[in-house]
Amino acid sequence: MNIEKYLASGVIDSYWAGELSDEEMQEVDALTMEFPQIQSEMDEIHEAIVQFAKDTQNMPNSEILQKVELQIGHSEQEAFLKVLEETQEEPDYKPLNMINVWSIAATILLIFSVSFNYIFYQKARDVQHQIQALNMENTQLAEQVGQNKAALQYAEGRMAHLLNEDNIHVHMVGLAVAPDASADVFWNRVSNNVFISIEDLPEPPHGHQYQLWAIKPGKAPVDAGVFEHTKNVQQLKVITGNIEAFAVTLEKEGGSPVATVNQTFVKGFLKKS
Amino acid sequence: MLHTLPHLTHKSSTEDRIVYFLFDRDKKALSLIFERYGSLLLNVILKVVGDRQSAEDVLQQVLIKVWNKGHTYNPERGTLFTWLMRISKNAALDQRKTKDFRMTSTSMEAQSVVSISNDFSEESHAIRMETEQMISHLSWEHEKLIKMSYFEGYSHAEIAKNLNMPLGTVKSKIRIAIGQLRALV
Repeated sequence: MNIEKYLASGVIDSYWAGELSDEEMQEVDALTMEFPQIQSEMDEIHEAIVQFAKDTQNMPNSEILQKVELQIGHSEQEAFLKVLEETQEEPDYKPLNMINVWSIAATILLIFSVSFNYIFYQKARDVQHQIQALNMENTQLAEQVGQNKAALQYAEGRMAHLLNEDNIHVHMVGLAVAPDASADVFWNRVSNNVFISIEDLPEPPHGHQYQLWAIKPGKAPVDAGVFEHTKNVQQLKVITGNIEAFAVTLEKEGGSPVATVNQTFVKGFLKKS
Repeated sequence: MLHTLPHLTHKSSTEDRIVYFLFDRDKKALSLIFERYGSLLLNVILKVVGDRQSAEDVLQQVLIKVWNKGHTYNPERGTLFTWLMRISKNAALDQRKTKDFRMTSTSMEAQSVVSISNDFSEESHAIRMETEQMISHLSWEHEKLIKMSYFEGYSHAEIAKNLNMPLGTVKSKIRIAIGQLRALV
């Protein structure tokens, strides 16, 4: 391509003067991009015309640009406000959102409520169990105290009779019927009262009762009285005379006038002084 | 169609800068288009609509269209000026089709388009001195040809007819006038 000839044709002048068709302008554009010499010619002529326009007051009225910028500003403001309005216009699904929010909140509260109820219920049950255990322990302690008290009374009673110088102490030991059994008799030589203290006698069968007998030489056993199967020192009958020994037999409830000798559980002899 | 924002450096041409601002929705694009291409666009609009007031209205519409359609410009399909010219010619032709334009155009026909040059009477004294100093280096004929061709909306054919010259002579004289102008600038 002969660029000099192309430039001399005046096509660049016509380009800037708006004399060319759209197609012709695109052809010039293509050549301009391809040939730097044409680009340079294009730029120089353009610069000369712009400068001439400025120097000769042939620029368009500057109010045109101001009006355009104002109009664009208004359009952008309207667009901005429209976006704001659209953002605010959400009435159709807002209630649904609120329902969802309340539903979620109610569900969370329900979960918390159930959880706390379960925890408190468990704690209440634990406390109830603890109270029951404490009550049981208290009962056991009370029983223990009662037992201890009874044991103390028994010990005190025995001690009192043992320390009493007027008492004759007879220790009775188990015979063939109950080899491990034992009991004590205190016989007051002044008042002649007889007291019995069980150390170890088996529980009498239903409808039966133990009975103490005073044995005098050459005579039938003398009834000294029936007694309860407790550890307490029990006062029985008044026995006088020359007593050799004491023995306990198992008799029918209420006692027997005659001793059932083959059911003698314990027997003890008075020490000869 | 959206195009990638061109890379801008200190060596970028004015056109590259305008395209960058246009894609970036920066109003600097409009002021630069107005400064670099405003007079030439007004000229081509004036060729179509015939009177300056209507042409200025159209230029205003063109600049708004350019702002709104800036993202559709494809640098690979031609220069920015070609794209601006296409929009301007279409806007000018649309203006001619409107009813308002047809009603007012008849009254405007009586006025000579050349009368635009009378605006010089309103210039300040200082500017006129500077302008005259530069223009004085151009011959009256060359100055007239440049104004008619680039700023007053005359086609080469109309200039030939108006100045009673052959079309080829008009083109060659404009060529010489531009050469003189380039030498002065």
